Amino acid sequence: MRRFSKRPFAIAIGLLPFATFVIAFEVLPVLNLVRSSITEDGSITIDNFSRALTPSIIDAFENSMKLSLFTAAIGTLYGAFVAYAIVTSKHFFTRNILAALANITANFGGAPLAFAFIIALGSTGFITILISYMGIDLYPGFRIYSIAGLALAYLYFQTPLAILLLMPAMHGLRPEWREAADVLGASGSFYWINVGIPVIAPALLSCFFLLFCNAFGAYATAWTLTGSDVNLVPIQIGALVRGEVKFDPALADVLAVLSLLIMAICLIAYQWLLSWSRLRA
Amino acid sequence: MNRKLPFWRIPVIASFALFMMVPVAATGLFSISTRWDRTLWPESFTFMWWLKVMSHSAFFDTLLNSLWIAFLTVALSLILVVPTAFLTHTRLPQAKPFLEFLSIVPFCLPGVVLAISLIRLYSKVPLPLINTPNILIAAYVTITLPFMYRPVMNTLESLDILSLTEASETLGANSFQTFAFVVIPNIIRGVTSGSLLVFSAVFAEFVLANLLVGTRLKTFPIYLVEFTRLDARQASALSMLSFAIVWIITLSVLWIAARGRNASRERSHP
Repeated sequence: MRRFSKRPFAIAIGLLPFATFVIAFEVLPVLNLVRSSITEDGSITIDNFSRALTPSIIDAFENSMKLSLFTAAIGTLYGAFVAYAIVTSKHFFTRNILAALANITANFGGAPLAFAFIIALGSTGFITILISYMGIDLYPGFRIYSIAGLALAYLYFQTPLAILLLMPAMHGLRPEWREAADVLGASGSFYWINVGIPVIAPALLSCFFLLFCNAFGAYATAWTLTGSDVNLVPIQIGALVRGEVKFDPALADVLAVLSLLIMAICLIAYQWLLSWSRLRA
Repeated sequence: MNRKLPFWRIPVIASFALFMMVPVAATGLFSISTRWDRTLWPESFTFMWWLKVMSHSAFFDTLLNSLWIAFLTVALSLILVVPTAFLTHTRLPQAKPFLEFLSIVPFCLPGVVLAISLIRLYSKVPLPLINTPNILIAAYVTITLPFMYRPVMNTLESLDILSLTEASETLGANSFQTFAFVVIPNIIRGVTSGSLLVFSAVFAEFVLANLLVGTRLKTFPIYLVEFTRLDARQASALSMLSFAIVWIITLSVLWIAARGRNASRERSHP
């Protein structure tokens, strides 16, 4: 069989547009941002980073980390149960409708989602009213415009994303293994601890990291639901860029680079775990 | 052997379906009720909010802005990604890991971070970029790279590209003819899913639009966010519209994917 003729020059020309675009709009902007955050008047400095150690910024990172960790953990866990229920379902209808539902809702987010939660759980939302009929007053103990409300809204797009990411791994749990464990007299918990969980663990962890990134970078939902009431990193960066509080581009750069660092760690963990789980599959 | 399924399946499935449907259903109901903040069920129904929100000239302007920006993003993404994916797959498979990495990075690149790095780099460059739709479209193509790259590469990998191109070249076609008339029709399913995914992601995007061009050009999501502060009922009609557009697009992606699966099953088991 004749191999393709390799014409290095023609291939290079063909790849040039994409390479130029990616360098211009993905690689260079990010590198430039990192560079400008650690230089001042041409010399390397970490002044900007030490300036970032204000209570308000530390608080923003704490809130963003908490919100992302919580919604990534709960989203992965809840998503794992739903994904398992979908995969083991014997009804064609349940399987397909629920998978489609996860597909659709994973794309929802931003302003319409925030707004939907205000209608359902705002101070005059119908679920708030429904619960008050049962004698429980949600407000002022719980507010949808708070970080707890945000966590609930984030779970709305985190859970379906987890389901989509985890369904392939759940398909990988072969029914024969469970049957073999049953035949050999193993209990359900013995099967899960020794077979089930070790098999899906890498997929669960990589899903967790991707969900963490997803929550950490989310802006529109938080912005619509809480304005700048809840102190989060993306909200702080947005405010600094627009010059709402004070115009301090250097500080915005530092916040952006710090979030990039967190994202890079998650991305590396995600990639590593993914290749590990593929290796074992 | 017929195992008994775990007891928690029904509650888990039911709670998930409820959690996913209630907020959307509530928005829909809210958009057609006269008043729904004192009672458990809307006091009465009306289509007034829908008519009212559509009567603003800004409604069609912003909808149009979002539509043409989304179309141009899809077009640019197709021009950049499809030939590159084809060339890399057939001629330079060694470069695939790079491509994979470049197209997963935007997934973890927060919108605010991309916006600020683009502003920093291009604000002093004398090119028609900052505060124009050009920079927004470029940013959109960047963040949606994974959505276009994955489906296109998946369909490419599922084909026997070598035989296809060889057959075409034996019949006297040049490289361009082979790509345009043989390869493209064979990967059209991946190209369509990718385009629809990009379109729905871009159509609902708020952060980049707000930070990059928000003062000059209003897109539909920016208009929607403004309305959530002005008039809740009209905002709910807008939200429903936004949900519906994304919903229709996602269902068509699923439909195309399912049809493709059936078609390939028929081919392999005649």
